[in-house]
Amino acid sequence: MSRQARLEAVRSQLIVLQGAAGRPVAPFGDARVDACLPGGGLPLGCWHEAGGEGMEIETAAAAAAFVALLAAPLARCGEVVWILRRDDLYAPGLAGLGFPAERLIQVCVRDEAEALAALEDALGAAGVAAAIGEVETPDLVAGRRLQLACERHGATGFVVRRRLFGGEVPHGGSAATTRWRVAPAASEPAPGEPGLGPPRWRASLERCRGGRLGAWIMEQNDGPHPVRVVADLGDRQLDPPQSFRLAG
Amino acid sequence: MRRLAAVDAGAAVRGLALGQKAADATALVPELVVADAEPAADAAALTALADWCARFSPAVALDPPDGLFLDITGADHLWGGEGPMMADLARRLAANGLPVRAAVAGSPGAAWALAHFGPDRAAAGKEMTAALLAPLPIAALRLASEDAAQIARLGLTTIGALAAQPRDPLGRRFGPAVMRRLDQALGRASEALEFRRPPSPWFERAAFAEPISTPEDLARAAGDIVQALCARLETAGHGARRFDLAFHRLDGRAERISVGLALPGRDPAAITRLILPKLDYVDPGFGIEVTTLVAREAEILPEKQASFTESGDKREDLAPLIDRLTNRLGEDAVWRAEAFPSHAPERAARRRPPLSRLEERGWDPERPRPLRLFRRPEPIEATAPTPDDPPVLFRWRGQVHRIRRAEGPERLAEEWWRVPFDRADPAKARDYYQVEDEAGARFWLFRAGVYGASEPPTWWLHGLFG
Repeated sequence: MSRQARLEAVRSQLIVLQGAAGRPVAPFGDARVDACLPGGGLPLGCWHEAGGEGMEIETAAAAAAFVALLAAPLARCGEVVWILRRDDLYAPGLAGLGFPAERLIQVCVRDEAEALAALEDALGAAGVAAAIGEVETPDLVAGRRLQLACERHGATGFVVRRRLFGGEVPHGGSAATTRWRVAPAASEPAPGEPGLGPPRWRASLERCRGGRLGAWIMEQNDGPHPVRVVADLGDRQLDPPQSFRLAG
Repeated sequence: MRRLAAVDAGAAVRGLALGQKAADATALVPELVVADAEPAADAAALTALADWCARFSPAVALDPPDGLFLDITGADHLWGGEGPMMADLARRLAANGLPVRAAVAGSPGAAWALAHFGPDRAAAGKEMTAALLAPLPIAALRLASEDAAQIARLGLTTIGALAAQPRDPLGRRFGPAVMRRLDQALGRASEALEFRRPPSPWFERAAFAEPISTPEDLARAAGDIVQALCARLETAGHGARRFDLAFHRLDGRAERISVGLALPGRDPAAITRLILPKLDYVDPGFGIEVTTLVAREAEILPEKQASFTESGDKREDLAPLIDRLTNRLGEDAVWRAEAFPSHAPERAARRRPPLSRLEERGWDPERPRPLRLFRRPEPIEATAPTPDDPPVLFRWRGQVHRIRRAEGPERLAEEWWRVPFDRADPAKARDYYQVEDEAGARFWLFRAGVYGASEPPTWWLHGLFG
């Protein structure tokens, strides 16, 4: 067997092992993102991680908004459970982003262990399409448990990295299928319109099992998918946020 | 002046009576031991006794200063009848050093009269009630003292004599209160008792020959009693939302566990699963002799129909998860947000139980609202050029944010109808702005107060947009 053929064989085995083949996906509807993701879209039936930096570690507002938009299409086929350690998630704000707030069940827990247990419980329950947990970062064992819970009914999990009192979030190994870093980005209202445009985020795919990495500017969108890619930031290392400006 | 508030049997034999002056009493019985009356402690003891009595019936009402009503409807069969039940209750109280007079009757009024003035341990059936009450004094009717005195002045000394009088003149003469008490005693009028817990017909009780205390025994006892009650619920076609389990200990205290269901249910396995984790917190003390289980908020639950299609009720799928979460985290920790017609941001989203039907109201999409709303707005230092303009920069938690774009203001006034009239203040209006800083982060700021008022306006950060 040639070296090339052996490589192909190993690669296909890897795909089977990672469970990426044949798994349902939720495409973004934009080739620039979908090409990076295994199967051509955000894999469902597994869990994803999103977080930010700076003040975002404590507030996790941008990451929560981004995750809410990723989960919004899933709310059509079931409930979305959001697990919080501080009950500051405001349903009218979610509704304003286009998230169907009537499908949302909020759960307030007291500590990290309870949050992970509730997230796992929700992911494995019938009737739940997606569960979102605001936790520090699940270690490998917790991540594996989340993955097993996701596979029970095909629910999709999201971890919003958040540390309530700030500080560094340990960036350990993670069992997440994809990991995103989300930061707010300056919005652009339509020409001639006053005020603010739709919210924008700089979303970088930092880890993607079975896919490629990338970074994009994305915008909240009323079209078929709740986020729209505005610009491709390519595969390069991102500049620090302060120096980044869009024209205008 | 000190008077006797209570006398025990020994003192009564020596001729002491209630209301006697303490000085007279000590003169009569020089060796008398007098202790100060403690009404508050008596009331607390009565409450404790009421809780203890929950092992006999879930519906116990206080009758201060020294009485208890037990509604034993549907509970006496567990002892084999009213008589054995009363005997068991009296024996247990006597063993604890509490002298007791007890009576069973069809109405609270008759039971009170018999317990206070009738033969001890009287059990009056429906037909016998009038006959048993007839020789009792008027005082057995729980009348106001002036009414009782007036009746006595007419020469009517027994309930029988009073009841034999023509009804209309009697009512005209003594007023409706006397007639109501008479009717209540004779079972002709109903009486509402204020039970410490509302009575429920779904009551089950299990007594053990030997006190139990090991965790395995507790788990088995809980499983058995749940099984028994659920079987009754099943037969009657009912389901309940709440199950209160009590372990009554040898020392008279009770350890209580309660589990709630999001949808009414009667599946013993599911209910036991919710109870088991809570057994760790049950302290059996020297042992548990009785367990009781009450199902509350029961409603008709038809036989579940096996569905052939997948389009079953979504709520039923979800109920086990909600039950697990609420029983682990508490009932107020799991909710769904419902739009509430209030413009105050704190009140615009109301928490509702996750499986209840929500109002299809929604929030106004034209009003921007943040994703994260702080419970308390945080003060910021803002620089705003002119009144009604958004700030150009502000400092929050030590960081300066330069504002690139802004929308607003949206003026939200105080809900003046919710505060006392004289405290309502038009200067408490808030002007909200949605602003975006140079990095693109969005904030929900407001200015409290107006320019030109006695105090300068202050700036606050109330929430973050994603």
